[in-house]
Amino acid sequence: MFGKGLIKGLKITMGHFFDKKVTEQYPEERPNLPPAFKGSFKLNVAKCIACGLCANGCPNNVIKIESVKDENNKKKLTGYKMMTERCLYCGFCVEACPPKALQWTKDFELAVHLRDDVNLDLFANYTPSPDDEKPAEPKNEEDSAQAS
Amino acid sequence: MKFFIDLANSMRAGIEGMGASATTAEIILTAITTLAVVIFILLHVVVLLLAERRLSAMFQLRLGPNRLGPLGIGQVIADVVKTLGKEDIIPAGADKFVFKLASTTLFATALLAWAVIPFGNGMIIQDLNIGIFYFIAIGSTATISVVMGGWASNNKYALIGGMRGVAQMISYEIPMVFSLLGVVMLTGSMKMSDIVAAQENMWFIIPQFIAFFIYYVAATAEINRAPFDLPEGEQELVAGYFIEYSGIRWALFMMAEYANMVAVSAIAVTMFLGGWNAPFGLTFIPGIVWFLIKLYLMLFTFFWVRWTFPRLRVDHLMHFGWKFMIPVSLANIVVTGIGIYVYRMITG
Amino acid sequence: MLKTEELTLNMGPVHPSTHGVYRCVLTLNGEYIQNAVNHIGYLHRGLEKLAESRTYNQFIPYTDRLDYCSGLANEMAYVLAVEKLMGIENEIPERAQYLRVICAELQRLASHGICVGSFALDIAGSTGFFYSFRDRDRALELINMIGGNRLTPNFMRIGGVAHDLDEYFLNELNQFCDDLPACFDEYEGLLAGNEILQTRSKGVSVVSKEMALDYGFTGPNARASGIDTDLRRDEPYGIYDRFDFKVPVLQNGDTYDRFVIRVMEMRESVKIIQQAIKDMPEGPVMAKVPKVIKPPVGEVYHRIENAKGHLGFHIVSDGSTKPYRTRIYSPTFVMLSAFPEMAKGTHIMDAVLILASIDIVLGEVDR
Repeated sequence: MFGKGLIKGLKITMGHFFDKKVTEQYPEERPNLPPAFKGSFKLNVAKCIACGLCANGCPNNVIKIESVKDENNKKKLTGYKMMTERCLYCGFCVEACPPKALQWTKDFELAVHLRDDVNLDLFANYTPSPDDEKPAEPKNEEDSAQAS
Repeated sequence: MKFFIDLANSMRAGIEGMGASATTAEIILTAITTLAVVIFILLHVVVLLLAERRLSAMFQLRLGPNRLGPLGIGQVIADVVKTLGKEDIIPAGADKFVFKLASTTLFATALLAWAVIPFGNGMIIQDLNIGIFYFIAIGSTATISVVMGGWASNNKYALIGGMRGVAQMISYEIPMVFSLLGVVMLTGSMKMSDIVAAQENMWFIIPQFIAFFIYYVAATAEINRAPFDLPEGEQELVAGYFIEYSGIRWALFMMAEYANMVAVSAIAVTMFLGGWNAPFGLTFIPGIVWFLIKLYLMLFTFFWVRWTFPRLRVDHLMHFGWKFMIPVSLANIVVTGIGIYVYRMITG
Repeated sequence: MLKTEELTLNMGPVHPSTHGVYRCVLTLNGEYIQNAVNHIGYLHRGLEKLAESRTYNQFIPYTDRLDYCSGLANEMAYVLAVEKLMGIENEIPERAQYLRVICAELQRLASHGICVGSFALDIAGSTGFFYSFRDRDRALELINMIGGNRLTPNFMRIGGVAHDLDEYFLNELNQFCDDLPACFDEYEGLLAGNEILQTRSKGVSVVSKEMALDYGFTGPNARASGIDTDLRRDEPYGIYDRFDFKVPVLQNGDTYDRFVIRVMEMRESVKIIQQAIKDMPEGPVMAKVPKVIKPPVGEVYHRIENAKGHLGFHIVSDGSTKPYRTRIYSPTFVMLSAFPEMAKGTHIMDAVLILASIDIVLGEVDR
């Protein structure tokens, strides 16, 4: 019948008029990010074994690794750059990392003023913390990955 | 309400006391009242722009602009400053004179309509004895501005929008006039104060509810509000006849739209909802407050309808106008006429 | 008779209702469309060529960018194709299969949410748009929990899925599915039941069964034209044969049916998700696949019922780690080719609506 659907529509919109609004008032109200969230990256340099699997797994050659071999013929990381301007944020690098040195952070506000600032130098950004040196149990690793 | 009239009377006395003639005093006083009404409209326009955004947000489960000041009131100032600060762009192929004229004339007609709207008893700029006729006549000149804007922009979207605007506004003017005719027949006068005074006991929405419905729909179409905003046609014509306008000229178009919306709501209040008359004998509240309450209720329904309904298609709009609205409004006139005749026969 | 002239109107690529960077040149007689010419390619990124220089695994995130409204479903199509090429399609763990179905149906809800919302927006009922996007946003938040990104989750892997999903996610999903039917009633009340929308869309741009077959319509658009086809039922991939769901088919093939069928399909998707959550077993989510994927020499074509139609991947392998050629069959590219004929003779306002009812996504059209 002509008009019935119109009145029903008016009823629905009026029903929502006094409802609680769904808007998230962003800068004050922070989004509730899930554990799997892919934001920015952080690298635990102490754990990194410079194996290069992350660079291999990357679809877009985002990761540039520099390493030297020390006296024990063990690779040591000397530079870790991420060309994040090309990054797809697919997460293959984080998945590939055997010692779980490369991790996601929940930092999602990645806008910067200068183009050069987009790229990350994870080696330089690293700040050592006392937990890094001791080799962690694999189980604890899982937990810390979950918690972050 | 008494306050404003007393104020006017004391001012008149004051001006005459300074040695001016009665005519000069009248002219000065009219100028002052006109200025007051223009300020009233402009304030309403900017507040309505915010209200539209806030209320539509509430219908859509959003919050709307709420950052600047309490309830986002600062947004009004920010918007005004922004539009004033914008560059005035006139397209290269445009007819410059007509292009500039269109926005001005549209806003001027929107303001002119307010000359006959009674805010309260005795609070009217000019209580013309052809008040409602004047309103209709002024309202129909807006069509010219729309086609001027559409034509002068030298843009195909604008041209289509302008042509749609002409077709729609001319077609919907007829039912609008006919719907108001029923009220005029009941009152026997086109003077606004007479019409309001005649509604002291019963608002005309009760005997003329069909006319009210037709007036409401036709007025929505006349001021290009959704669901009849075809000349704007945001989805296919981007912005219709004012697609090429920017800055203050664009703001004039928007302000004219809102001023027109307030004007048709005020006319609906005057003609059908009893104007300044208080309902249920609540006369201790002044008439102007009642007028404003009714006005805002009408405006709210305009918002409500706009943010609920999708837009009609042009041919359906024309069909609806010519095949439904005009016959029904004509029938309403006939029924009203018979009713008045029978009423007179009975009462002698 | 007044001398009249046809008007050529260029719609797009920058236009509010072309759903991206689609451009179409209309020849108008008054406001009625005499002729329409499609111009596409403004969003061409060469994804098929990119696939040739990426390993099989590395191409998965790129499939998210095909039809960016249904990333998970695209991943599923690609992953299933590669698994078929490797001959391991029967080794996928049960739990991974169920998770894939949940992901695909959740993504279908999100994708149809876009269609319903943009249809409402193109008919100027922006309130319907916001109601639909409110629900789509909840779906996207769930996808964010799945993969860490809202549109490009990169969750499927060759041989399973990236990681297991926890109880918290499943509870949220359950809650979402319980809330949805009331939201669908809302769309139907506000949009489908609205007389203005019905007069604008019923009988407009009717696609007959024959025309739909000729143009190769698939998915909801074909079902709106009376073609009873759904790959989930007809050629069940994964574990779709275990679920009980109806395939809605409408007969008119007009714009209204193409719109309404999407709401009907969303109801069915909710049912599938609920069944999947109930039946999901515990277990691993990844099969034993080699780290470096080297499928045998050969080629494979696999298609799934994406939200918008059949999405197919044709992969030719030369035995190396990278595919020799990847060809993507995208549904909306095919259906967009019917737009000139669908739009012919209609009003310019309807053309916008027809475009919305085809539900094009330019990322998939231009690839």
